[in-house]
Amino acid sequence: MVYELLNGLSPAEADQVLALGTRVTVPSGGPLFRLGDPADRLFLTERGRIRLTLPMLVRGRQEDILIEEKSPGETVGWSALVPPYSFTLSATAPLETEVIALSRETLCAFCDSSPAVGYKIGMNLAILVGQRLQLVQAMWLREMQRTVELRAAGVRER
Amino acid sequence: MDMLLMGLCMTFIGVAVTAMAFVAATRPRSSTPAVQPELPAAKVAPARFFSDRVAASIPLQPTVPIEVLLLQIENHVRLEQAAAESFVAFPTQALLHSKTTSPFVN
Repeated sequence: MVYELLNGLSPAEADQVLALGTRVTVPSGGPLFRLGDPADRLFLTERGRIRLTLPMLVRGRQEDILIEEKSPGETVGWSALVPPYSFTLSATAPLETEVIALSRETLCAFCDSSPAVGYKIGMNLAILVGQRLQLVQAMWLREMQRTVELRAAGVRER
Repeated sequence: MDMLLMGLCMTFIGVAVTAMAFVAATRPRSSTPAVQPELPAAKVAPARFFSDRVAASIPLQPTVPIEVLLLQIENHVRLEQAAAESFVAFPTQALLHSKTTSPFVN
Protein backbone atom coordinates (compact mmCIF):
# COMPACT_ATOMS: atom_id res chain seq x y z
CA MET A 1 0.00 0.00 0.00
CA VAL A 2 1.28 3.46 -0.94
CA TYR A 3 0.09 6.19 1.42
CA GLU A 4 0.11 9.68 -0.03
CA LEU A 5 1.15 11.17 3.33
CA LEU A 6 4.19 8.90 3.44
CA ASN A 7 5.42 9.54 -0.11
CA GLY A 8 9.19 9.69 -0.31
CA LEU A 9 9.77 7.87 2.96
CA SER A 10 11.86 4.73 2.93
CA PRO A 11 9.95 1.50 3.73
CA ALA A 12 11.57 1.46 7.17
CA GLU A 13 10.54 5.07 7.86
CA ALA A 14 7.01 4.39 6.61
CA ASP A 15 6.78 1.35 8.88
CA GLN A 16 7.92 3.44 11.83
CA VAL A 17 5.16 5.98 11.17
CA LEU A 18 2.52 3.31 10.62
CA ALA A 19 3.51 1.65 13.89
CA LEU A 20 2.44 4.84 15.66
CA GLY A 21 -1.11 4.40 14.46
CA THR A 22 -4.12 2.40 15.52
CA ARG A 23 -6.25 0.42 13.09
CA VAL A 24 -9.89 1.43 13.27
CA THR A 25 -12.72 -0.36 11.49
CA VAL A 26 -15.71 1.79 10.60
CA PRO A 27 -18.88 -0.20 9.90
CA SER A 28 -20.86 0.42 6.73
CA GLY A 29 -22.72 3.71 7.10
CA GLY A 30 -20.86 4.57 10.28
CA PRO A 31 -19.31 7.95 11.03
CA LEU A 32 -15.57 8.49 11.32
CA PHE A 33 -15.99 12.05 12.52
CA ARG A 34 -18.51 14.86 12.29
CA LEU A 35 -18.28 18.47 11.26
CA GLY A 36 -17.11 20.57 14.20
CA ASP A 37 -15.64 17.66 16.18
CA PRO A 38 -12.24 18.30 17.74
CA ALA A 39 -9.61 17.03 15.29
CA ASP A 40 -6.91 15.24 17.23
CA ARG A 41 -6.29 12.35 14.83
CA LEU A 42 -5.72 12.05 11.11
CA PHE A 43 -6.47 8.90 9.18
CA LEU A 44 -4.82 6.92 6.42
CA THR A 45 -7.40 4.94 4.46
CA GLU A 46 -6.40 1.30 4.43
CA ARG A 47 -9.45 -0.40 2.94
CA GLY A 48 -12.90 0.70 1.76
CA ARG A 49 -14.03 4.27 1.15
CA ILE A 50 -14.59 7.42 3.15
CA ARG A 51 -17.20 9.96 2.10
CA LEU A 52 -16.52 13.57 3.06
CA THR A 53 -19.71 15.57 3.23
CA LEU A 54 -21.04 19.00 4.15
CA PRO A 55 -24.57 19.78 5.33
CA MET A 56 -26.88 21.54 2.87
CA LEU A 57 -30.55 22.50 3.09
CA VAL A 58 -32.48 20.68 0.36
CA ARG A 59 -36.23 21.41 0.30
CA GLY A 60 -36.06 22.43 3.92
CA ARG A 61 -34.30 19.25 4.98
CA GLN A 62 -30.69 19.12 6.05
CA GLU A 63 -28.82 16.65 3.87
CA ASP A 64 -25.19 15.59 3.80
CA ILE A 65 -23.82 16.44 0.38
CA LEU A 66 -20.79 14.58 -0.92
CA ILE A 67 -17.75 16.78 -1.36
CA GLU A 68 -15.04 14.17 -1.84
CA GLU A 69 -14.56 10.42 -1.60
CA LYS A 70 -11.32 8.96 -0.34
CA SER A 71 -9.86 5.65 -1.49
CA PRO A 72 -7.19 3.39 0.06
CA GLY A 73 -3.87 5.19 0.47
CA GLU A 74 -5.47 8.62 0.75
CA THR A 75 -5.41 10.84 3.82
CA VAL A 76 -8.50 11.96 5.71
CA GLY A 77 -8.73 14.55 8.43
CA TRP A 78 -5.66 16.71 7.99
CA SER A 79 -7.47 19.30 10.08
CA ALA A 80 -5.79 17.42 12.93
CA LEU A 81 -2.52 19.10 11.91
CA VAL A 82 -3.93 22.54 11.09
CA PRO A 83 -5.19 24.97 13.74
CA PRO A 84 -7.83 25.36 15.13
CA TYR A 85 -7.89 21.53 15.03
CA SER A 86 -11.59 21.12 14.24
CA PHE A 87 -13.02 18.98 11.47
CA THR A 88 -14.56 21.13 8.74
CA LEU A 89 -16.35 18.21 7.06
CA SER A 90 -18.14 15.07 8.15
CA ALA A 91 -16.67 11.68 7.23
CA THR A 92 -18.64 8.46 6.91
CA ALA A 93 -17.93 5.03 5.50
CA PRO A 94 -20.30 3.93 2.72
CA LEU A 95 -19.03 0.38 3.22
CA GLU A 96 -17.01 -1.30 5.94
CA THR A 97 -13.76 0.60 5.96
CA GLU A 98 -10.46 0.31 7.74
CA VAL A 99 -8.29 3.30 8.55
CA ILE A 100 -5.06 3.86 10.43
CA ALA A 101 -5.58 6.59 13.00
CA LEU A 102 -2.53 8.72 13.85
CA SER A 103 -2.85 11.03 16.82
CA ARG A 104 -1.48 14.54 16.36
CA GLU A 105 0.46 14.35 19.58
CA THR A 106 2.23 11.10 18.69
CA LEU A 107 2.92 12.11 15.09
CA CYS A 108 4.28 15.52 16.04
CA ALA A 109 6.51 13.97 18.72
CA PHE A 110 7.87 11.51 16.16
CA CYS A 111 8.50 14.29 13.61
CA ASP A 112 10.34 16.28 16.29
CA SER A 113 12.59 13.33 16.98
CA SER A 114 13.09 12.51 13.26
CA PRO A 115 13.20 15.88 11.47
CA ALA A 116 14.06 14.35 8.08
CA VAL A 117 10.91 12.22 8.17
CA GLY A 118 8.95 15.14 9.62
CA TYR A 119 10.08 17.32 6.72
CA LYS A 120 8.85 14.78 4.14
CA ILE A 121 5.52 14.34 5.94
CA GLY A 122 5.20 18.12 6.17
CA MET A 123 5.85 18.47 2.44
CA ASN A 124 3.29 15.76 1.64
CA LEU A 125 0.78 17.52 3.85
CA ALA A 126 1.45 20.81 2.07
CA ILE A 127 0.75 19.07 -1.24
CA LEU A 128 -2.57 17.72 0.05
CA VAL A 129 -3.66 21.08 1.41
CA GLY A 130 -2.45 22.90 -1.70
CA GLN A 131 -4.31 20.52 -4.02
CA ARG A 132 -7.50 20.96 -2.06
CA LEU A 133 -7.07 24.73 -2.20
CA GLN A 134 -6.50 24.75 -5.97
CA LEU A 135 -9.50 22.52 -6.51
CA VAL A 136 -11.85 24.54 -4.35
CA GLN A 137 -10.55 27.77 -5.90
CA ALA A 138 -11.33 26.50 -9.40
CA MET A 139 -14.76 25.22 -8.36
CA TRP A 140 -15.55 28.51 -6.69
CA LEU A 141 -14.52 30.50 -9.76
CA ARG A 142 -16.66 28.30 -12.03
CA GLU A 143 -19.63 28.94 -9.77
CA MET A 144 -18.91 32.68 -9.73
CA GLN A 145 -18.72 32.72 -13.52
CA ARG A 146 -22.15 31.11 -13.76
CA THR A 147 -23.60 33.57 -11.24
CA VAL A 148 -22.24 36.47 -13.28
CA GLU A 149 -23.62 35.00 -16.52
CA LEU A 150 -27.06 34.44 -14.99
CA ARG A 151 -27.04 37.96 -13.58
CA ALA A 152 -26.04 39.42 -16.96
CA ALA A 153 -28.79 37.40 -18.69
CA GLY A 154 -31.31 38.71 -16.17
CA VAL A 155 -30.25 42.30 -16.82
CA ARG A 156 -30.52 41.80 -20.61
CA GLU A 157 -34.07 40.40 -20.29
CA ARG A 158 -35.28 43.42 -18.36
CA MET B 1 -85.83 98.40 -16.86
CA ASP B 2 -88.01 95.65 -18.26
CA MET B 3 -85.18 94.56 -20.49
CA LEU B 4 -82.81 94.45 -17.51
CA LEU B 5 -85.20 92.34 -15.44
CA MET B 6 -85.76 90.06 -18.39
CA GLY B 7 -81.99 89.64 -18.80
CA LEU B 8 -81.53 88.83 -15.12
CA CYS B 9 -84.33 86.26 -15.22
CA MET B 10 -82.80 84.61 -18.27
CA THR B 11 -79.43 84.54 -16.56
CA PHE B 12 -80.87 82.92 -13.41
CA ILE B 13 -82.72 80.35 -15.47
CA GLY B 14 -79.56 79.56 -17.46
CA VAL B 15 -77.48 79.16 -14.30
CA ALA B 16 -80.17 76.96 -12.72
CA VAL B 17 -80.39 74.69 -15.77
CA THR B 18 -76.62 74.41 -15.94
CA ALA B 19 -76.43 73.56 -12.22
CA MET B 20 -79.10 70.88 -12.55
CA ALA B 21 -77.34 69.37 -15.55
CA PHE B 22 -74.05 69.35 -13.62
CA VAL B 23 -75.62 67.70 -10.57
CA ALA B 24 -77.32 65.08 -12.77
CA ALA B 25 -74.04 64.29 -14.50
CA THR B 26 -71.96 63.98 -11.35
CA ARG B 27 -74.51 62.31 -9.00
CA PRO B 28 -73.51 58.76 -7.99
CA ARG B 29 -75.82 56.14 -9.43
CA SER B 30 -78.16 54.96 -6.74
CA SER B 31 -79.97 52.46 -8.86
CA THR B 32 -79.29 48.77 -8.15
CA PRO B 33 -76.30 47.73 -10.16
CA ALA B 34 -76.59 44.81 -12.49
CA VAL B 35 -75.09 41.62 -11.09
CA GLN B 36 -71.63 41.23 -12.49
CA PRO B 37 -69.58 38.04 -12.52
CA GLU B 38 -67.02 38.07 -9.77
CA LEU B 39 -63.59 38.38 -11.20
CA PRO B 40 -60.80 36.54 -9.47
CA ALA B 41 -58.57 38.90 -7.60
CA ALA B 42 -55.27 39.31 -9.31
CA LYS B 43 -52.56 37.68 -7.23
CA VAL B 44 -49.92 40.09 -6.22
CA ALA B 45 -46.50 38.63 -6.63
CA PRO B 46 -44.50 38.76 -3.41
CA ALA B 47 -41.87 41.41 -3.44
CA ARG B 48 -38.42 40.01 -3.99
CA PHE B 49 -35.02 41.44 -3.72
CA PHE B 50 -32.44 40.42 -6.25
CA SER B 51 -32.91 38.94 -9.64
CA ASP B 52 -36.49 37.85 -10.22
CA ARG B 53 -35.46 36.91 -13.70
CA VAL B 54 -32.44 35.00 -12.62
CA ALA B 55 -34.57 32.90 -10.31
CA ALA B 56 -37.10 32.34 -13.08
CA SER B 57 -34.45 31.02 -15.42
CA ILE B 58 -33.55 28.16 -13.08
CA PRO B 59 -35.77 25.22 -13.94
CA LEU B 60 -37.89 24.17 -10.98
CA GLN B 61 -38.48 20.48 -10.63
CA PRO B 62 -40.90 20.16 -7.73
CA THR B 63 -41.99 16.71 -8.81
CA VAL B 64 -38.51 15.20 -8.71
CA PRO B 65 -38.23 12.93 -5.65
CA ILE B 66 -35.70 14.15 -3.13
CA GLU B 67 -33.58 11.01 -3.59
CA VAL B 68 -33.24 11.81 -7.29
CA LEU B 69 -32.47 15.42 -6.50
CA LEU B 70 -29.73 14.38 -4.06
CA LEU B 71 -28.23 12.08 -6.69
CA GLN B 72 -28.29 14.96 -9.16
CA ILE B 73 -26.50 17.19 -6.64
CA GLU B 74 -23.90 14.48 -6.01
CA ASN B 75 -23.42 14.00 -9.73
CA HIS B 76 -23.06 17.76 -10.17
CA VAL B 77 -20.37 17.90 -7.47
CA ARG B 78 -18.44 15.04 -9.09
CA LEU B 79 -18.61 16.68 -12.52
CA GLU B 80 -17.55 20.05 -11.14
CA GLN B 81 -14.70 18.44 -9.26
CA ALA B 82 -13.56 16.61 -12.40
CA ALA B 83 -13.70 19.86 -14.37
CA ALA B 84 -11.74 21.66 -11.66
CA GLU B 85 -9.15 18.85 -11.58
CA SER B 86 -8.73 19.17 -15.36
CA PHE B 87 -8.12 22.87 -14.92
CA VAL B 88 -5.61 22.33 -12.09
CA ALA B 89 -3.72 19.79 -14.25
CA PHE B 90 -3.74 22.03 -17.34
CA PRO B 91 -4.58 25.58 -16.28
CA THR B 92 -6.18 27.33 -19.25
CA GLN B 93 -9.13 29.70 -19.37
CA ALA B 94 -11.03 27.31 -21.64
CA LEU B 95 -10.70 24.45 -19.16
CA LEU B 96 -11.59 26.66 -16.22
CA HIS B 97 -14.96 27.43 -17.76
CA SER B 98 -15.54 24.15 -19.61
CA LYS B 99 -19.15 22.97 -19.61
CA THR B 100 -20.33 19.81 -17.95
CA THR B 101 -23.45 17.71 -18.54
CA SER B 102 -24.84 18.50 -15.11
CA PRO B 103 -28.57 19.35 -15.26
CA PHE B 104 -27.96 22.12 -12.76
CA VAL B 105 -26.04 24.19 -15.29
CA ASN B 106 -27.85 23.26 -18.49
